Amino acid sequence: MSRYFSKSFLLFLFVIPIICIIYPSVLWVIGQVFFPFQANGSIVNGPDGKPVGSLLIAQPFTKDEYFQPRPSAASYDASASAPSNLSASNYLLRDRVARALGPIVVYSDGPKKGQQIAPDIEAWFQQDKFGGQPHIVAQWDDAHNELATGWVSADPTHAAYVDDWTKKHPNEVSKWKKDNPGTPDPKAADLAVLFFETFSKDNPGKFPSAVSHQGADGKTVTAIEPVNQGSDIQSIFFDMWRQEHADAPLQDVPADMVMASGSGLDPHISLPNAEYQLDRISQKWASDTKRDPKQVRNEIEQMIEANACAPFGGLAGEKFVNVLELNLALRNKYGQPQ
Amino acid sequence: MLQLWLLPAALIVTAVLVSIPLSKYCAWIMEGQYRPLPGFGWIERKLDSGPQDWKQYTAALLIFNLLLFVWGYVVLAVQPIMPLNPRHLGMLAPTTIFNSVTSFMTNTNLQDYSGDVHFSNFSQIFFTISNQYISAAVGFCALVAMIRAFRGEQKVGNYFVDMWRVLIYMFVPAAILSGVLFMQQGMPMTFKSTIQVATLEPGAMGTDDKGVAKEQTIVFGPVAAAIPIKQIGTNGGGFFGANSAHPYENPSAWTNFITCFDMMMFPFTLVLMFGRMLRRVRHSIVIYGVMLTLMVGMIAWAIYFELKPNPGLTAHPASVTYKIPSATAKGGFRELTIPQVAGLPIDQHLGNLEGKEMRFGIVAAPTFAALTTAVTCGAVNCAHDSLNPLTGLSPMVGMWLNCVFGGKGVGMINILLFLIIGVFIAGQMVGRSPEYLGRKVGAREVKLAVIALLVHPLMILGTTGLFAATSWGTKAEFNPAAHGFSEVMYQFTSASANNGSGFEGLGDTWGFNDNPNPAPTSRQLDIAAGLVMLFSRYLPIVAPIAMAAFLGMKKEAPSGLGTMRDDSMTFYWLLLGTIVILGALMFLPVAALGPLADHWGPMPFGG
Repeated sequence: MSRYFSKSFLLFLFVIPIICIIYPSVLWVIGQVFFPFQANGSIVNGPDGKPVGSLLIAQPFTKDEYFQPRPSAASYDASASAPSNLSASNYLLRDRVARALGPIVVYSDGPKKGQQIAPDIEAWFQQDKFGGQPHIVAQWDDAHNELATGWVSADPTHAAYVDDWTKKHPNEVSKWKKDNPGTPDPKAADLAVLFFETFSKDNPGKFPSAVSHQGADGKTVTAIEPVNQGSDIQSIFFDMWRQEHADAPLQDVPADMVMASGSGLDPHISLPNAEYQLDRISQKWASDTKRDPKQVRNEIEQMIEANACAPFGGLAGEKFVNVLELNLALRNKYGQPQ
Repeated sequence: MLQLWLLPAALIVTAVLVSIPLSKYCAWIMEGQYRPLPGFGWIERKLDSGPQDWKQYTAALLIFNLLLFVWGYVVLAVQPIMPLNPRHLGMLAPTTIFNSVTSFMTNTNLQDYSGDVHFSNFSQIFFTISNQYISAAVGFCALVAMIRAFRGEQKVGNYFVDMWRVLIYMFVPAAILSGVLFMQQGMPMTFKSTIQVATLEPGAMGTDDKGVAKEQTIVFGPVAAAIPIKQIGTNGGGFFGANSAHPYENPSAWTNFITCFDMMMFPFTLVLMFGRMLRRVRHSIVIYGVMLTLMVGMIAWAIYFELKPNPGLTAHPASVTYKIPSATAKGGFRELTIPQVAGLPIDQHLGNLEGKEMRFGIVAAPTFAALTTAVTCGAVNCAHDSLNPLTGLSPMVGMWLNCVFGGKGVGMINILLFLIIGVFIAGQMVGRSPEYLGRKVGAREVKLAVIALLVHPLMILGTTGLFAATSWGTKAEFNPAAHGFSEVMYQFTSASANNGSGFEGLGDTWGFNDNPNPAPTSRQLDIAAGLVMLFSRYLPIVAPIAMAAFLGMKKEAPSGLGTMRDDSMTFYWLLLGTIVILGALMFLPVAALGPLADHWGPMPFGG
């Protein structure tokens, strides 16, 4: 037996240098000599000559002048790749998708064809009736406790707003403590469900949202206030609106625009997704550069066409485009966005 | 239509075509008919401890694996003080190290950590790469020993020489070739750890407290060295957390094709090598056919269901009312109504895109999911947790059966267990004593086969039951209801099948030892899965080698008129039937509780 130990040691001694030192070194030399761009991460430089990103790694874009990548469950953190892992049965998936859709979806037919549904969601929300019952926010809160809790934990200002409200509603809070003896000292997130229930009755047709005001000293102050319009209403309550308007003809959005990728770093979007964003992008660049919108649109459309490619030349999939490559081309052609 | 089936068809045809000459090459190497490279003959003679009988061979295998365990433990434990660690990553939690070490030495590569977050390049090279080479060779050698025992040889070869042959003459050249192709397509190969880039739109990543725009930190490293052997050795332990979905680990549709082919190459080859070394090529072609049938079925199933839109986002036009048996309700039933749901306006003609990448093509993800579990690789190129409910059944079936080509050698060993039991059942039916390879299969052989076969369901169902019934599992579930159960079940299925893929929503990550907020039951999951991997790896290697040795010792009887031929269509159906029936008997109940309940249950499910 001891012979097998010594032979095992010997095997390690011979094999480890080969597979852990020689083998990677051989590949490293081949990579650095023949494929230096790829072997060093496919890094591209910006207009100022400094590296701005990798062609293979998605990075976020917020400005309307740029193509936006797919949603990322990893917040585009290229040191911690991750998918969302949400299953179809998880309401959080539907909620995330619906929130992305609300502000962008347009009617596909009928008298309002081509117009956004967002104003209609706001008008419907202000009436504060869902399924024939009053108080949309309270019903939302009741059906999706997890989302209500999630709203409170999402931002410190949200939690502070609930803490404020707790001070003003001692009766409700002490009743809650009586009903939940296990949590004698509830935090803001614990009270989320109760908070929205009373908020909805105190502020019919409103939802707490961040609003910016110009103060007397000229500084902008952002605070949480009850509002009856804006992006929170359009996104959070789109799914409920949809349930009451199941027959409204809406234009389909390309799936990869609202469904997150497997790595959170997918550098590509589908060709239909790029074309869907084309109007927004070309209008913005046209106004930035004060040029004819039609001409700008044509130019950008050609850039998309030139960039698009498909797996195995189209044999095994549909066309997609590289977001960073396109945005870099836009930046080089039109300059700094305003 | 062409788009749908071209990729899987091309993959299977390529793997079959390559396996024919490659099996000849492998048999030639393993029979020792080659002339060693200059200098390597000396090493071989140094390693050779003389011919071993099956007991000695198994002992050598186990002793070597013991050392491998120590090696892995040490490498991971010293990560903080080793070079190639510019991020100053600390030590992982002890249970995570235990889990990772067992996971990599058993060729499982279940990862309760994230490669990009938790591993330095030192650990990637000396832990990941070394284990991925060595553990794959262990299964290969076990199969070769079994073949020699079947041939009636008293001495089944020398373990150390076999390991050397597999590593040097098969894995290293194949990995270098793949690595070069991968790099050409964009896979990084550097010993640096990270690169900082300013984003094209400054401040898009947010700003820090002082209002300075954040940069994007990109992690990379010797990816093109790790990935080839990860696939060729059917290991599946990714360099990055997102595994083969990560753009650096799988940069294009071409690398995805090569990645898939790499993991199929040796499992396909070994079946034919089995036939060549036994001089029963027709028999091995029958086994090959059974495996191919099951594999095509699993791929087709996965593609069919994954091309349907994500059911959580579509309309469910009619409200449905179920009557559910209830002890407390009047009349013994209570009613549950699932209201009708309006669909969201999404164009899902490419199927369910949640957790998928664009660059591989439409059916790449379900094809990969079916392949990776059939050949027990365990790499993933999409988020398995987000697969449509019924698609998820395909990878599960692959791991439950664990013999559809299977891992390096081990899959072939598993199908031989089904085969012995099938032969035994057939013998019972016709009233003749069962035979295999011209030798009578006795009680001892059947007992050993059944022990090895039963380890798998016992390990899966026992641990899944324990964790699903207690807070150990329920606290770790990320998705609701039946899908949460599937997450736990998938974890232990993957551990027992030595696969390594996962429904990764499951909270199994402790991370660094000083992590203040680890997943609450990650410690229990680490240890339980670690033990499952150990049992399910070594018992089904040792017992079949013993079985083969006992069978080989018997006298070979000439085949007569009543002998069941093992190279006929009848034998094909016998083997296929045995696998399907035994598999269904063992795992249909959990399939009903997991993916089937998920599919027919309410969608979406509260929250």
